[in-house]
Amino acid sequence: MTTSVSAPQCLVCDTAFEVSADWEKGEIIECTGCGQEHEVVESVDATVRVELAPEVEEDWGE
Amino acid sequence: MTPDVVLSLTMLRPDEKLLLTALRDRDLEVQVALQGDLADVVSLRSEAPPLAMIRNLSHRDAVDVARRLECLGVRTVNRSSAIEICNDKGLQALVFARNGVPHPVSCHAYSYEQVRTAIDTVGWPAVVKPVSGSWGRGVTRLLDTNCLDAWVGGRESADAAGKLFPVLVQEYVEKPGHDLRVIVVGRTPVVAIQRISDDWRTNTHLGASVARTEITAEVEKLCAQAVDVLGEGFYGVDLLADKETGEMKVLEVNANPEFAKSSAVHGVDIAGHLADHLADRVRERSEPTAA
Repeated sequence: MTTSVSAPQCLVCDTAFEVSADWEKGEIIECTGCGQEHEVVESVDATVRVELAPEVEEDWGE
Repeated sequence: MTPDVVLSLTMLRPDEKLLLTALRDRDLEVQVALQGDLADVVSLRSEAPPLAMIRNLSHRDAVDVARRLECLGVRTVNRSSAIEICNDKGLQALVFARNGVPHPVSCHAYSYEQVRTAIDTVGWPAVVKPVSGSWGRGVTRLLDTNCLDAWVGGRESADAAGKLFPVLVQEYVEKPGHDLRVIVVGRTPVVAIQRISDDWRTNTHLGASVARTEITAEVEKLCAQAVDVLGEGFYGVDLLADKETGEMKVLEVNANPEFAKSSAVHGVDIAGHLADHLADRVRERSEPTAA
């Protein structure tokens, strides 16, 4: 059973990381190499596409 | 198909992923609504869902989404009024004082001069904090007039026109090295943790460690008082005890508490408790009411 799918390399340090097969759009994935957070955007040809996660904004909080 | 629950998000962090999984495990149909999905959710094109859980990180967005959904007839797990109050430490000070909820002495200040005057009321040391802010940002302890002058000088250089007022000037309560964060689901405190730090601020974002502690009768009472003011929901209630007197007060209540990291330490399934609560509320809606 597939438990993960391919994702692009980290957009900062190029480390390849895996995304759980039950990924959701908008999910935050942390790079195992440098810790940079990425946001899952979509899946294209069985590869999950990610972007850098949004920066914390002024009125964000608990 | 109309979902049972709308989960309104800025992004899907581990906390929300745990909640989403727990909701689906309870056979609830969940619509995840990121910012780009809101136009469809807040529309009259389909039947309104019975319930929404607001987990937007932006305080402005959270209140905005909750208000719009309420206008559509959607119940929100935390009412928009509760989110609005929780997002503003000044509003919390006012409603707690009006309703007799124990809370540190607090004053609003709309100018640098009023900060000085307010400290005459709360005494030294004093804490100055932005009315809206999280994770300890901008919260400053002023030990004496030298600290106050430094705070005013630094702030004036960034905000000469004083546009960032009001601020809250608050009595400093000396803690016994920790405060308490209590997670409340509905009306029930489900876990209490000590947030332990050498820093006077005990935010986990600033490095505080956590340890599970007992939910005492006093903790239950204070949480009940806070929920009486805000309405039932999902809250992180911060309590602190005076190191000298042992008197416990409600410092603040958060309407969007994080739980994924602390759950891994204390072992309480917060997402499961919350999903059970949401399932109950969905069930209430679907059950026929007496004529």
